Amino acid sequence: MKPDKYKHIDDNELLRQFYADKNNEWLGILLQRYTLLLLGVCMKYLKNEEEAKDGVQQVFLKAITELHKYKVDYFKSWLYMVAKNHCLMRLRDKGKQPEEIKEGLLATADETDDKMNLVAKDSILTQMEMALQQLNDEQQQCVTLFYLDKKSYHQIAEQTGYSLLQVKSNIQNGKRNLKIMLQRLQQHEQ
Amino acid sequence: MSNNLKDILSESNKDIDNQRLMDYLSNHISQADLHDIEKTMADDSFVNDAVEGLQQMKPGKDLQLYVEQLNGDLKKQIAKNKKRKNKRSIKDQPTIYLAVIVILILLVICFLVIRRNNPVVTPENTPNSIQVK
Repeated sequence: MKPDKYKHIDDNELLRQFYADKNNEWLGILLQRYTLLLLGVCMKYLKNEEEAKDGVQQVFLKAITELHKYKVDYFKSWLYMVAKNHCLMRLRDKGKQPEEIKEGLLATADETDDKMNLVAKDSILTQMEMALQQLNDEQQQCVTLFYLDKKSYHQIAEQTGYSLLQVKSNIQNGKRNLKIMLQRLQQHEQ
Repeated sequence: MSNNLKDILSESNKDIDNQRLMDYLSNHISQADLHDIEKTMADDSFVNDAVEGLQQMKPGKDLQLYVEQLNGDLKKQIAKNKKRKNKRSIKDQPTIYLAVIVILILLVICFLVIRRNNPVVTPENTPNSIQVK
């Protein structure tokens, strides 16, 4: 994989440069950073390599057109939403998935989780231990093995007998539930 | 234990570079890096979906080649747009041409007026030359 010549310039700076002079070449540099991820997302939804490649090109075009029209603050999340929406529309056009596309539902982890960023204090850690005990067995087991014992998805799957998908889902849901429980506990304290 | 508990709350905002992702997909990665990437996957749906999709690719497919092709097409598209934009920007501004023509006409008029008011002195039309005759 070719190294990124512009690695020293972060996404926000590239976007700022683009908004300053409207030169698409800044967008080119930015979009190329996400080609592999976009290919993966398109492949996940469209399940066909040629369609996935075509999907990535469409997402590039859409991104270039849309970014001229309005300002985007969280480029990565926005690009993910564009890619996901594009794939869902393609599936809907084919009649494969009559799934309703709601942008709100597509808000990604880093945006929603930013709002929930919690400062790790001693009291929170105590509450965390309590909250961890309240998770259901599957989630508790997977979260503990993943975050505390630093095991990989495969190792957890082998150890617990769950499928890889179950492991991932238990970790993600477990983490989300922990945050919700912590927020409740904090609100209760206040 | 408490540090590891903090890990659950912290968000992995790290951007995984493509090479590390390829190494993860081909299982050529250390245990620590593997855990790091999976932690990012747990926090970032974009990366998680991408990895799930890339794992569905037929084995033996050269991902790097795909990425290079797509990047090449993107560059071509951007260069094409730039060319079109430059062309259009000249075509779309006839006022510039008009202004240049008007300025040139004004310059010619000024030159003619100045010339008429201050005729060029030549030996033939100077008073001295008449006296000599």
